[in-house]
Amino acid sequence: MIETAKLTRRFGDRLAVKALTLTVNAGEILGFLGPNGAGKTTTIRMLAGIIAPTSGHAMVAGIRPDREPERLHEVIGLLPEAPGFYERLSARRNLQYFAGFYSNRDIATQAEKYLALMGLQDRRDDRVASFSKGMKQRLALARALLHEPKVLFLDEPTAGLDPEVAREFRDLIKDLSGEGRTIFLCTHNLTEAEQLCDRIAVVRTQLIALDTPENLRQRQFRRQVVVKLESVDDDLLKAVGDLPFVQDVQRQENRLTVALSDPDRDRPELAARIVQAGGRILEISEERRSLEDVYLSLVHEEEAS
Amino acid sequence: MTARRVLNVLRKEWAVMAASVSNLLYVVLIPLLLTGQALFLIWLVSRFVAGQTATAAMLQAAPQATAGVLPNLSAADQFRVLLLSQFHFFLLVVPAMIANVFATLSIVEEKITRTLEPLLATPVRTWELLAGKALSGAIPAFLAAWTCAGIFVGAAIGLGWGHLLRFILSPTWYLTLFLLTPAVAVMSFVLGVIGSSRASDPKGAQGIAVVIVFPIFALIGVQVTGLVWFTPTLTLILALGIGAIDLVLIRVAVRLFQRESIIVRWR
Repeated sequence: MIETAKLTRRFGDRLAVKALTLTVNAGEILGFLGPNGAGKTTTIRMLAGIIAPTSGHAMVAGIRPDREPERLHEVIGLLPEAPGFYERLSARRNLQYFAGFYSNRDIATQAEKYLALMGLQDRRDDRVASFSKGMKQRLALARALLHEPKVLFLDEPTAGLDPEVAREFRDLIKDLSGEGRTIFLCTHNLTEAEQLCDRIAVVRTQLIALDTPENLRQRQFRRQVVVKLESVDDDLLKAVGDLPFVQDVQRQENRLTVALSDPDRDRPELAARIVQAGGRILEISEERRSLEDVYLSLVHEEEAS
Repeated sequence: MTARRVLNVLRKEWAVMAASVSNLLYVVLIPLLLTGQALFLIWLVSRFVAGQTATAAMLQAAPQATAGVLPNLSAADQFRVLLLSQFHFFLLVVPAMIANVFATLSIVEEKITRTLEPLLATPVRTWELLAGKALSGAIPAFLAAWTCAGIFVGAAIGLGWGHLLRFILSPTWYLTLFLLTPAVAVMSFVLGVIGSSRASDPKGAQGIAVVIVFPIFALIGVQVTGLVWFTPTLTLILALGIGAIDLVLIRVAVRLFQRESIIVRWR
């Protein structure tokens, strides 16, 4: 649904996006992560046909954004970083205005439908200036959906929202994905990315990594199990270290952190060997690295290189 | 589709303008104040100068074209005709100011509310957006000018100068009102958009816009000071000339209204 080939954008001497090549499949949620200034918003703007690339190209829903932006805009929806409404006009009037640019749509019906879906029907005639940030964000999502787009670009959709509203928003995004829409989600919230995204792209001007959260985790960190024991002595440590499938073992007081080639397969045998060596196991669990660990590791690696 | 989009922009611009009492007052009060001020000055000057020797001297200095068509009027009435005949040119201040205010407020509003990015993610084309904005500024501008002209004529009758209207409502008057005024309104609006598009922030936009419309005020100045006397032919040429410049300026405005730089530079 989205394809980019060496997509590059410069602003004067500054390189904002460098040779970005990626593919997003239809119906997929792609998380687009990166530090501030990594080129996330610039990428969204290029893909949404708002700014042109310096070189390279993109295809979104079979349309070149730089060549046919008007045709593209009929099939994409954008939720920008700042919601952007005419604050002195009502929520309904704002939606009607934006809906008025699309072809073959019943403006009034679509506006009412999405005001209701976002829980704003009771406030539809109120000025947007009186809305909270969460309400504005919901209204902005309603605006992005008015014309039933196939592809949605969401730039920091939950930034600045309170946890409850952010959760509602995530549920809405899941529902939209369930309807078969392709979602390009730009976020700093790694928990959100992990919960929502099928795949994650980490960028810092250029693409650092692109894979499922699980594959990124495995690629970046070895899988390890943590064994808590009543006590640990050198014999026990040696017995564990001698096991053929153990890649590494670290001791921290009465705790062993063991790197295994396949924890699901090797964990029972590891437990049996510890018991055989006289160890008394209190707890055994797999150490699961967070997406935040993966992200930071990727970004720092790139920084170092 | 295009007409629907242009009308959509126009209706929104008016709704935003109507939602702000201060902007609305500006659009309504400025033309009324200008008209009232012009009438008051004409009344004041003609009252104190009429019948005195200075009148004859001033009339002698007036262009022969005007003086020559008023043989049967008293010196005081000739003087009044001379002053009242300046009004339609003085009235050009109204479309120039209103259209320019609409232009800068319109672009600045988009910036302040950060609506340009979601707007440019819709299928609206740059020229459709600018056409809607231009009409939203130009229509009230020349409607205000025509309303002021009507008030002026009514007030002239009320002040007992009705018998002078046949000299004042000349071909130049009608050409100015119905050709030159819309042309100036469009020019002022487009120059305002160009200024706003090139500025790096809203304050700069308003500053540039004010400087850009200065030539329009200079045009009014050359007429009211008598440096150039606009005959019907000259007024027609001027209106058509400004109309032609408008067409060029519209194309320039569309080119200069660079979506990217406005989105990227205005923060």
